[in-house]
Amino acid sequence: MPRQVLEDILTADSIAADTALAASGDATAFERLYRTHVARVHTLVRRMLDADEADDVTQDVFIRAWQKLSTFRGESAFGTWLHRLAVNVVLARRKSVGVERGRFINEAEPLDNVSGKPVTPELSMDFEEALARLPEGARQVFVLHDVEGYHHEEIARMLGVVPGTSKSQLHHARMALRRHLDR
Amino acid sequence: MNDMWMNRLSEYLDGELDKSERTALEAHLATCGECYATLGELRQVVARAQALQDTPPATDLWAGIRGRMTESTPIAPRRDRHDRLVRRRFSLTAGQLLAASVALVLMSGGTVWLALHERPSNAPAPVAVRQPRIATVASWTGSTDAAIADLQATLDQNEKRLDSTTVRIVRQNLAIIDRAIADARIALQSDPGNAYLNLHLANTMRRKVELLRRVNSMAAARS
Repeated sequence: MPRQVLEDILTADSIAADTALAASGDATAFERLYRTHVARVHTLVRRMLDADEADDVTQDVFIRAWQKLSTFRGESAFGTWLHRLAVNVVLARRKSVGVERGRFINEAEPLDNVSGKPVTPELSMDFEEALARLPEGARQVFVLHDVEGYHHEEIARMLGVVPGTSKSQLHHARMALRRHLDR
Repeated sequence: MNDMWMNRLSEYLDGELDKSERTALEAHLATCGECYATLGELRQVVARAQALQDTPPATDLWAGIRGRMTESTPIAPRRDRHDRLVRRRFSLTAGQLLAASVALVLMSGGTVWLALHERPSNAPAPVAVRQPRIATVASWTGSTDAAIADLQATLDQNEKRLDSTTVRIVRQNLAIIDRAIADARIALQSDPGNAYLNLHLANTMRRKVELLRRVNSMAAARS
């Protein structure tokens, strides 16, 4: 058996074992799950919200996971379950702090912040920076659709909009980000 | 620029236009260089998004999480572990949990072994640590090998008493264990006195014995 295949099997099995142990109250097993998944969760949160919120919200995600582990039935991989939980925590955070303003693009100004072609290298942004400067609504749709692979119908349900709005936001985000492809 | 089609390029890219719209847009693309070029850029944006890498937080967040876990222990009441796993209908069977725990032990051992043996050539040499003297491989594995051979022969005879799913899981996990044993033996050939590798091999062989005994007991119970 190729070593990589063996490692993948062992990794999946060890995560399953740690999930069962953590669900029974084993904090050490939960720490191993944290270390395996923290980069994925933190990156998702950082892209969906402002960077300065990422640490706090990532901690909230793992606390929520710890509290809800007893509801995890293993019907999907733990990573998939955790990822969906993270999305829910992010969206709940958005509502709880009332970040409604600027959620969807109604004006050109926010997009102008990212869509202009930089004149000098000093003014250039890399792709992640440009993504972070998108208006929140466009950013979240872009991250959920193009980075995380959700469909418009799912995104519309999660964000409380119609699928057409999700499609429109995605297109605006892509149009803005195409200026930053080569950086 | 034809704004109507420009605004539909993402839907075209995602395969969300119906046939007539797709045909019309493709006809437009054949005559509009700007839309054609933009479509290419949008494709690159999607590819770039899919290639983005995850990065860990700049600081370790575990301490804060651990502290809050103490404040908010799992919402389900603590019970005996076995009782709890059964009650909450976790999808892992007892056999799968056993296999997973075996894999967990092997994984940790395998990871350390890999770390020991795949160190980049330009990495600093590890600090020499005096290791306790232990018996070399040949002096202690013989009797375990014999026990494993006996148990394996018994299993070969009893296997038909087990259901196919159990047999499949057992075979998969025996294959994992065998691979770990083989890796450890290979590593020990070049470093026979390595305490960690000897201990890892001993633990792995013990796991194989335990697994074989347990499966044989299951088979005997069904005779």
